[in-house]
Amino acid sequence: MGFADIDRTVLGREYDRLTYPPITADELIAYARTLGVTDPLYLDEEAAKQGPCGGLIAFPTFVVKLRGGQHMPLEVAREMTRGGFDAGKDIEFGVPIRPGDVITATSTITELFEKTGRSGSMWFAVFRQHLANQNGEMVANVDSKMMQRTQAAKEAAK
Amino acid sequence: MSVAGATFDAVEPGDDLPVITVDLARDYVKAHAAELGMAFPRFTDEEGAKLEGLPGQITPGNMTLALLARELLTWAPGGRVLRLGTTFRGLALAGSAVQLLGTVTEKDDERRTVECDVWMETAEGDRCVIGTATVQLP
Repeated sequence: MGFADIDRTVLGREYDRLTYPPITADELIAYARTLGVTDPLYLDEEAAKQGPCGGLIAFPTFVVKLRGGQHMPLEVAREMTRGGFDAGKDIEFGVPIRPGDVITATSTITELFEKTGRSGSMWFAVFRQHLANQNGEMVANVDSKMMQRTQAAKEAAK
Repeated sequence: MSVAGATFDAVEPGDDLPVITVDLARDYVKAHAAELGMAFPRFTDEEGAKLEGLPGQITPGNMTLALLARELLTWAPGGRVLRLGTTFRGLALAGSAVQLLGTVTEKDDERRTVECDVWMETAEGDRCVIGTATVQLP
């Protein structure tokens, strides 16, 4: 069993859905603060009321914290063993997150493909977390690309 | 070079974003990794990272992309990042300084958006994270 054997019906199938408790202002501020953001729009509820959004909003990349409950479907997790790593992200941002928002994350796999580079053959899996708020508005689509070297490439590297 | 406080009317393709130097201090990386719910040894601890075969504590990809977003919004406060795509090409080691750079590549008059190339560069000049972004400017 290997990556090539994963049943492609996994593509596009929702494998996880998680609704988070209401987002708090403290969560949004803690994220921005530890990142080193200085704009009061993301840090100060009172000051943000005078800003362009009329109140505090999440710094856009806060959405990467909302990764859902199950990181990947079991049939993919079996192949994405130790040594796999995060190869990149592509995020489409929708409406900003505000304190009190209830976010639901639904997860699918959008791509599974093999690519050959200088260090040998690698498998890629692209996971999408679609985030929507309590009004059904799109907050973000977060596509995460995970990379795993093939067994042959791992053995060649030994 | 385009200065911070960028507006759509003042920006042109070819403009560089201001270069921002970020000190990826170990405690800074550790604290943000914990905030992300990613307090794994590779992101929090020099020795733990080495046990995983890494050269030392590294910065989470989710933090590097956030720093690129921070660069964009420092350049264009009041703007909106509509899309940000990144490729993690190399390691951003904690305990080192990196530079955040970018350039405007396209301008869309109808949507009042710009396309930007953005990247994180190590002291050795390696582009450890590269990306593109769509930003709506005030």
